[in-house]
Amino acid sequence: MSDNDLTRRTVLRRTAAAGLLATPAMGFLSACVAGGGDGGATDQAEGEKSAENPLGVDPAAPLEVVIFNGGYGEKYATDVHEPLYKTKFPNAQIKHSATQEIATTLQPRFAGGTPPDFVNNSGTKYMDFGTLIQDGQLQDLSELFAAPSVDDPAKKVSDTLVAGTVESGTYNGKPYVLNYVFTVYGLWYSEKLFKEKGWTVPATWADFTALLDKIKAAGMTPYSYAGKNAPYYQYLVILATAAKIGGPDVLKNIDNLADGAWKHPAIKTAATQWAEIGAKYMDKAHEGLIHTEVQLQQNQGKVAIYPSGSWLEAEQSASTPEGFNYAVMPIPSATASDALPATGLYATAGEPYFVSAKGKNPRGGMEYARQMLSKAGAKGFIELNKSLTAVAGAEEGIQLSPGLTSASTVLKAAGANVFSYRFDSWYKELDTELRTATNALMFGRENADQFAERMQKKADAIKADSSITKFTR
Amino acid sequence: MRHGKYPFVIGFLAAPVTIYVVFVIAPYAQAFYMALTNWRGLSPGQFVGLENFTRLFQDEVFWKALRHHGILLLALPLITIIIALFLAFMLNVGGGSQKGMMAGVWGSKFYRVVFFLPQVLAIAILGVLFQSVYRPDGSGMINSLVSKAGLEPIGFLIDPKLALWSIVAVLVWQGVGFYVVLFSAGMSNIPKDIYEAAMLDGATRSSMFFRVTLPLLWDTLQVAWVYLGIAAFDCFAIVQTLTVDQGGPDGSTTVIGMEIYRNAFVYSKYGYASAMGVALFFLTITFAALSLRVSRRESVEM
Amino acid sequence: MAIDTATPAPVSSATPSPEKKTRREINILAGFGHLFLAVWALLIIAPLVWTFLASFKDNEEIFGDAWTLPATLRFDNWARAWTEANVGQYFLNSVFVVSLSTAGTMLLGAMAAYVLARYTFFGNRIIYYLFVSGLAFPVFLALVPLFFVVRNLGLLNSYVGLILVYIAYSLPFTVFFLAAFFKSLPNSVAEAAIMDGASHTRLFFQVMMPMARSGLISITIFNVIGQWNQYLLPLALLQGEGAEEKWVLTQGIANISTTAGFHADWGGLFAALTMAILPMIVIYAIFQRQIQSGLTSGAVK
Repeated sequence: MSDNDLTRRTVLRRTAAAGLLATPAMGFLSACVAGGGDGGATDQAEGEKSAENPLGVDPAAPLEVVIFNGGYGEKYATDVHEPLYKTKFPNAQIKHSATQEIATTLQPRFAGGTPPDFVNNSGTKYMDFGTLIQDGQLQDLSELFAAPSVDDPAKKVSDTLVAGTVESGTYNGKPYVLNYVFTVYGLWYSEKLFKEKGWTVPATWADFTALLDKIKAAGMTPYSYAGKNAPYYQYLVILATAAKIGGPDVLKNIDNLADGAWKHPAIKTAATQWAEIGAKYMDKAHEGLIHTEVQLQQNQGKVAIYPSGSWLEAEQSASTPEGFNYAVMPIPSATASDALPATGLYATAGEPYFVSAKGKNPRGGMEYARQMLSKAGAKGFIELNKSLTAVAGAEEGIQLSPGLTSASTVLKAAGANVFSYRFDSWYKELDTELRTATNALMFGRENADQFAERMQKKADAIKADSSITKFTR
Repeated sequence: MRHGKYPFVIGFLAAPVTIYVVFVIAPYAQAFYMALTNWRGLSPGQFVGLENFTRLFQDEVFWKALRHHGILLLALPLITIIIALFLAFMLNVGGGSQKGMMAGVWGSKFYRVVFFLPQVLAIAILGVLFQSVYRPDGSGMINSLVSKAGLEPIGFLIDPKLALWSIVAVLVWQGVGFYVVLFSAGMSNIPKDIYEAAMLDGATRSSMFFRVTLPLLWDTLQVAWVYLGIAAFDCFAIVQTLTVDQGGPDGSTTVIGMEIYRNAFVYSKYGYASAMGVALFFLTITFAALSLRVSRRESVEM
Repeated sequence: MAIDTATPAPVSSATPSPEKKTRREINILAGFGHLFLAVWALLIIAPLVWTFLASFKDNEEIFGDAWTLPATLRFDNWARAWTEANVGQYFLNSVFVVSLSTAGTMLLGAMAAYVLARYTFFGNRIIYYLFVSGLAFPVFLALVPLFFVVRNLGLLNSYVGLILVYIAYSLPFTVFFLAAFFKSLPNSVAEAAIMDGASHTRLFFQVMMPMARSGLISITIFNVIGQWNQYLLPLALLQGEGAEEKWVLTQGIANISTTAGFHADWGGLFAALTMAILPMIVIYAIFQRQIQSGLTSGAVK
């Protein structure tokens, strides 16, 4: 075990990887140890760079892809993206797997130094990005974004993407994550229902509450979200409202753990107004439901307005009645003196993918991502999953579903007034606390002051915690 | 039993001890070591001594979870044992004496089979099942009846005051059957003539229960108490599948297991999660040792 | 806690008839007792019946009033659950793994417990407490280190690895209770066998094991239930290529449950759930006599 030419650190690493720490009795196992977390460049596949192969992939090197098997399923990988890679490198073996338990199944592999090459780190159990980056597990994707794109070699990959895509996966200056799906967030409703009832999309808060009153009178639950597993759909709405009142910097300060960020008056106003909506227009029972249950109620005409992202339509396709016609509205203006117009929108590239820096085939992983970002790759994804991708204009020529059409429309109307936050993937403790606080606020157990107080306290605690890697934007 | 003892002893212990040391002790030993590091699940962490434990004692959530364990530790054994005792008594001696034998009530065979049924359901199944039982509107099995009666639906898992008790109810529902069988076994070992004598003395059924059954079952009761206590320390799976926000609302149902899981698999704070696990380990050990010492069964030398 | 064993009254022909008061009291108590038994049985049966009914419902009915019958028997739910959810496959996997691991657990556990209970040797107590302490540790804490141990032995994503791990994690409980049981067995038989020149091994397999039968049966039942319910261990250890075919039932159910959420296929979920529950009920109904008697004469006397 203690080879003289090994540094002490390597020994430590190896022992950790071998699972032998503090267990001298198990020394006999060390014989079976495959090299630990020392994924140097030595054992990584590399090929000749050429115009055809700008990232220098080894054409025969196997590639392991792990997909999160959730709302988007795994078909887009097995039927679209993997064949694209295979066509380019017929000798490359692709090892595909899909799971709903990303962290549970992959964490030990990253710790042991045998990570898969390409990972869709998503779902409720995704691995903490901060930890992965701190540990040097993620491949810097600068080379990918600078490479010539598949469809037009004169254009860099980054130039083919929707503005802000690269930035959304950038951590402390380096692009580590590819956010592939472009998501528009807002309040979703059935266009058919609104037409039938003669309801119109509100632009001001007064219009909004008047509409909710009408819906209530019609015997439906006017507004709802699922408290059991999706309070973050609602906290997004609250924070988006705060951003509209006080400008996008409100969110930037929250992301940067700025002192007193949560005590900004915009947050208090937003929380107060939403708490009123919660008290007057929501169904108390929905705190105990999961997202698909509430979404089903919307399809059944029991719930009118539901906050979500543009994946909603695809997720509900099996239970949406004919002619339901999903549509989305931006969150109405909260006050008369909002910093942003009513058309302001929360929209961002999401659904994160990364390439393992310590995997066997990081170049293959980047090439796979490049294929995903080709027109063919994006089109295939859009057709299968009814979602917009981060590839600019990929949806052209595809007959868009009602919900996607609506999402594109509000996105165009928003123009430059598009904003988002990043703290939820940076600081999971903050996300957990905010979920709890949001349920307490919306279901009337705490008021806006307590909400802000509580969140500020948590943010300060995270700021003071030296064990947590900090990010800024 | 002298000659050739050692080869035999070693021969018999080799396989079980090896498997056990390799697959259980080694990982746990590492977990203990991890508790002293700031390991984040990837590269080896630095040794930080007892820092995780000092953090732990300042962690409100941890104390909250600990309080819930206190409630569970009292409520779960108490409720389960009372219900199981009553049912077992009815099944074994509730039917009065027939042909000079104490008999159970009519249908006791059927009841015995049904009561044990929840034991054979996997926790994963139980979770899905009780989501439907507790559903907070008319589609829930209980709330359907409640709303038919014209009352407001009950927010079993939504109301912070009710949520933990709803979890206890699931554990009781699953556990009672096993203890019915256990107590039935104990009761069937009580000599019939004691009951006969009591009957002849004109003892009522309830006084028979308190003066004959209960004292003679004391040993079994204590075993049940220890089992249930250990079960109360480990109800993570149910909490995870059933509760709002995994341990909510407002952390009103969280248990240490849930927090270990959250810290390890959500926050990647493996070192800190291990420290929680170590704390849980000592709590459980203390509880078991105390209970066994108090009960002092001769077959178990603690 | 000795009770004062009053000398039982001699059974005479002149049995005094019990007073009326007692009679009435008995009736009230018996009535209440009957009611309570029936209610408890209902509490157990109702959710299972509901699940069975829900397996024929569509989403509309499942989220409608809970206690209505499905409009038609939608067998397509069952078909979907069977083909998409692979319940049958997972069920057989579980049976395979659990039967082997329980057998292994019982053999190794009995051997260790027997030696620890009936032989004095250096290190006896230490080994015993090592086993017992395992009762108190939350499994998922050891998950990550365990993963490495299994991986380094090359047993990841294999039933061999899973079975060995199941055995290891069932040993504390098994050893703890069987040791107590072996201790309580009389010495006379063992001494007689030794006098006849039986070896230690023969003594164990031919004399002690049969004597401990009832204890062994009840611990076997325990282990079957415990291992059948395992979710975290297979989740962590069965991964990689082709892992999905190897999944055990609990993983299958958890997966269906999440997927049903994503695709709103609630009818299919409850059909799959019924498929998972029914065989258990059938098997239990067949073996319930053995199970009950096993527990009744079990280790916890």
